[in-house]
Amino acid sequence: MDIEKQFPPFKEWLLGGEAGELGALWAWLLGACALLVAAMVASWVFGTFMHGPGKAGDKIFKVLTGTLVDLLHTSPRRVFALARLAVKESIRKQAVVGLAVFVVVLLRLAWFVDPGRTDPTRVYLDELLWWTSLLVLALSLLLSAISLPADIQNKTIFTIVTKPVRSSEIVLGRILGFVATGTFLLAVMGLMSFWFVTRMLDHTHDLTHDDLSTTAAKEGAESDKLVRGGFTEMARGHMHEVDLDDEGNGVTKKAQSHVHRVTAVKKDGRVTYEIGPPEGEWVARVPIYGKLTFRDRGGNPTEVGTNVGNEWLYRSYIEGASKAAAIWTFSDLRREDFPDGNLILELNIRVFRTYKGRIDHGVAGRMRLVNPKDPAVYHDLGIFFAKEYTLDRHEIPLQFDHEGNKWDLFRDLAPDGELNIELRCLEGSQYFGMAKPDMYFLKREGLPWVNYAKGHFSIWLRMVLVTTFGVMFSTFLSGPVAALANLATLIGGFFVEMMMRLGTGEEIGGGAIESFIRMVQHDPMQSKLESSIATSVGLFLDKVTGGIFIVVSRLLPDFEAFGTSHFVRDGYDIPANLLAIHMVMVLGFVLPVVLIACVLFKVREVAK
Amino acid sequence: MQSQAVVTAPPGATVPTDVVIETRNLSKIYRDFWGRQKVRALKALDLEIRRGEIFGLLGPNGSGKTTTIKLLLGLLFPTSGQALVFGKDASEVTKNERIGYLPEETYLYRFLNAEETLDFYGRLFDMPAAMRRQRAARLIEDVGLGWAKRRQLKEYSKGMARRIGLAQALINDPELIVLDEPTTGLDPIGCREMKDLILNLRAQGKTVLMCSHLLADVQDVCDRIAILHQGDLKELGRVDSLLKVRGETAIRASGLSEAAQQEIRDVIARHQGQLLSMDNPTTTLEELFLTIVRDSEARPGRRSASLSDGRS
Repeated sequence: MDIEKQFPPFKEWLLGGEAGELGALWAWLLGACALLVAAMVASWVFGTFMHGPGKAGDKIFKVLTGTLVDLLHTSPRRVFALARLAVKESIRKQAVVGLAVFVVVLLRLAWFVDPGRTDPTRVYLDELLWWTSLLVLALSLLLSAISLPADIQNKTIFTIVTKPVRSSEIVLGRILGFVATGTFLLAVMGLMSFWFVTRMLDHTHDLTHDDLSTTAAKEGAESDKLVRGGFTEMARGHMHEVDLDDEGNGVTKKAQSHVHRVTAVKKDGRVTYEIGPPEGEWVARVPIYGKLTFRDRGGNPTEVGTNVGNEWLYRSYIEGASKAAAIWTFSDLRREDFPDGNLILELNIRVFRTYKGRIDHGVAGRMRLVNPKDPAVYHDLGIFFAKEYTLDRHEIPLQFDHEGNKWDLFRDLAPDGELNIELRCLEGSQYFGMAKPDMYFLKREGLPWVNYAKGHFSIWLRMVLVTTFGVMFSTFLSGPVAALANLATLIGGFFVEMMMRLGTGEEIGGGAIESFIRMVQHDPMQSKLESSIATSVGLFLDKVTGGIFIVVSRLLPDFEAFGTSHFVRDGYDIPANLLAIHMVMVLGFVLPVVLIACVLFKVREVAK
Repeated sequence: MQSQAVVTAPPGATVPTDVVIETRNLSKIYRDFWGRQKVRALKALDLEIRRGEIFGLLGPNGSGKTTTIKLLLGLLFPTSGQALVFGKDASEVTKNERIGYLPEETYLYRFLNAEETLDFYGRLFDMPAAMRRQRAARLIEDVGLGWAKRRQLKEYSKGMARRIGLAQALINDPELIVLDEPTTGLDPIGCREMKDLILNLRAQGKTVLMCSHLLADVQDVCDRIAILHQGDLKELGRVDSLLKVRGETAIRASGLSEAAQQEIRDVIARHQGQLLSMDNPTTTLEELFLTIVRDSEARPGRRSASLSDGRS
């Protein structure tokens, strides 16, 4: 699984690390203060133009104190009443139509997706989470943006604001009401899709005596008893190879990412085989990630490996048959985390071939466990062949033989719970590519349904943001314009990182005008543009728009970063740390946006 | 709406003088998107409405009466001047706890039924559930909608919608009731009941501010009126005083022969007739209203001469 955006531990992210990086909390406070000051100055300048400096200052003071008083005197009963009204309004506006569309999505998956494909779990989860997210966000976007303007247009708001209702209560009531509606839709969609996936994945196979043949035990087997082998019957587009012990029990070989347990049942002198439900088809691995560093071809430490020319710089590469190596440093390993007596190491290495070689054969590499305190103390795990795009699983026993001695991993290699794994490519002119999440120790298997719920929680967080922004826009814009503004925020939020790169000049190929010039002149992205007045003007304009992009990217939530569906789809547990960070990030946007919405509604004349 | 007994203030009773609504130099200019002046809707309005009176705002379309009401309710913000309700600025939310408002049309949520509507507005007044239930049940009966309380408002006729609108305006047992065209959409019986109800509210010591195009309704119930035209206050005073025709005397007598009518006072005395009243004759409010509007259009910007008569 590719994890491009990685966060430090929650506390470090929130309060700052030892290296002196600014914590998110302080950055937020600074940003909020800057925004407040900028808004006050802009309001004062505008107010001065309209009313004169003294009156403008007086009005700003009154609005700020009034909003503060509104927030402090917010009545839960009134907020609840308005939230209930928003829910009823949503139902009246046929928000449940979203559920009907979702049923159509389920039917499409059931009818048109081939269950015999390599990894149906991935396909189902990917599609369902995408559609759930799309439908819930689209409904929230529309409902939150058009409700208040509709109330203002048809004047029902007159009977609200002439009651002792504060602007904060109107804003919070709308937000809570639409969040409640969205939560209901999300929960129903989640339950429906969970039922659908479990039902679609659930299957078994037939296995009879005729499918099996008795053979001698395989070389290296612990027992010399005969084994019965063969293939199960085809079901859901696949079959499993089985090797049963002399009792007739065993586990099938993996197909479509899962196995089945086979149990022989003797009844009335006859043996039948019962095949259990699929195992390992829908998982939630809990990995322990390490820190990745490199050694270059000369054996010198470096932060990144070789760039093989990919535009996507996510992975770094190490050259084969050289001193180049990738080193993962794992910390805080504890013996009690591996009660089975084995460390399960999973890796997913990419290969960059400078020549074709044996394309049906993996490129050879070597892994070594190294004591980080004393690199001379290491244990070779032997040679492996990189399997691209599949997960390679290695079991490392905690006790093992090392050159005739009995070694204990925690005693000899990781006494403080810290362990290095060094990986090299053995074939000359071939490269291994890797990123930090490409190798990890498997701590445990989490519960898939819990992970699924976490994935929906991430969608919920996005929905809360969309709803809050929608209500904020609706306090001062007409319904359609508010919906468009909300849509622009959502789309812009998916491109926050790109906007930042454009602003800081990190985007290869430059901004819009530079890219256009390059296209017209057929200039490659890395080359320097020819100097001319037109080019200079274009680059200047790019810088100006880049500055705007930086400001906008600071104001918009990074909707892309909130996505966790790839965790669920690829079978990895969504870390609690990540969800906690996402929650605080959402809160960091919701609080100021609610405040802005309250101010904007307070200064608005609802009548014309 | 069920018919209610008309309770009028006892003759000669003194009206409490504490001011419920006060406007000082209240002006409103509507501007376009660019801040340019579009309409000067209200010009320096000075007004006082006292506790316990029924005050009517009159004026042709565009005269500024609805703007005045919206300014008093905080739906609009004044361009200059001040609007005070119960001594608080009109933009102050807490004043609304003592106000009931019936808009010109029934701007209610059509997907709610009568019970849900009153329960919702009761919640907005932070009322506990028991009180909401009790008041909603009583008001629904009072406005005669008990038979339709479970029907969604979108199924209501205009008259029924006005009734439930009135019920929501009274859910908090307000001290000040603002009624915008209260009899619009009501049939003659409904109009009569509405007027009875307004008088009943005054009898309970409540203050009523209403605006209406139906001059007969205003004449029937209002203690004092203000007539606005093109944003200017043209007339202000007690209805009975405003309708008096100065410089003329009308005598109303009974039991007199034809001959006795020739010499009024002496003959009445000589013939032992009973003098019932001797006063200035009154015109109708409609006549007064039209005179003021015509006068205002002929001499724009000048206040009606009758205002300086000290009749308010």
